Amino acid sequence: MSQGRILDLIKAQCRIFSLTFNPQRLRLGNKILRQRLRGPALAAWYPQKTVSFRDLQNTYKPLGLTTFDEAEDDREEAIQIAKLRGKGRPKKKRTAAESRSAKKKK
Amino acid sequence: MSKAAASMFRPKKLDLSGFVNTRLIRDHNKRNAFEQMEPERQALRYLIRNTTLPQRVRAQAQLQLSQMHVYTRPTQIKNRCVASGTARSVFRDFRLNRVRTEPLMVPSD
Repeated sequence: MSQGRILDLIKAQCRIFSLTFNPQRLRLGNKILRQRLRGPALAAWYPQKTVSFRDLQNTYKPLGLTTFDEAEDDREEAIQIAKLRGKGRPKKKRTAAESRSAKKKK
Repeated sequence: MSKAAASMFRPKKLDLSGFVNTRLIRDHNKRNAFEQMEPERQALRYLIRNTTLPQRVRAQAQLQLSQMHVYTRPTQIKNRCVASGTARSVFRDFRLNRVRTEPLMVPSD
């Protein structure tokens, strides 16, 4: 078989299997186009956020249903105790003048 | 492309559950950034590798790729332990580090 016939055969093969016909073996960069995207697999490494207790609370609050959150209850109790001991949070400064006077005291 | 802060890749609300760490969140942001920009990166890489294109086009593509934000680079991504955030000796199959996999490796009687 002649060289030309072989080339024609390869050309037809490339057309059928949708490959790039490149008899000169030029660097066409098709290697890059053949690569699969790695992004979705890499981005799924860490566990995504699912439904939390807070979401449950938020969905049932408009319906008037109350939920019991033990951690939140404990926190509020601790705050009450701190306030009784005079260790509560300071009053929020609403204006610039208020915050300035607070600084001067020190 | 202008210089941009890393905060542009940070979601408004944290979309992770389980162990969370500053460095873990940063890595997660990098992963998301890479996923978002991967087609563009691959397109530029194709232009650079194609030797039949004019030299000017290829040089411009090289410049554009190098000027993309660091967070969009795959080499910035580091596999971290899902349970403790450790970056060292993390088993890819478990996504856990050496210490966290040890309890799983106890032979069952």
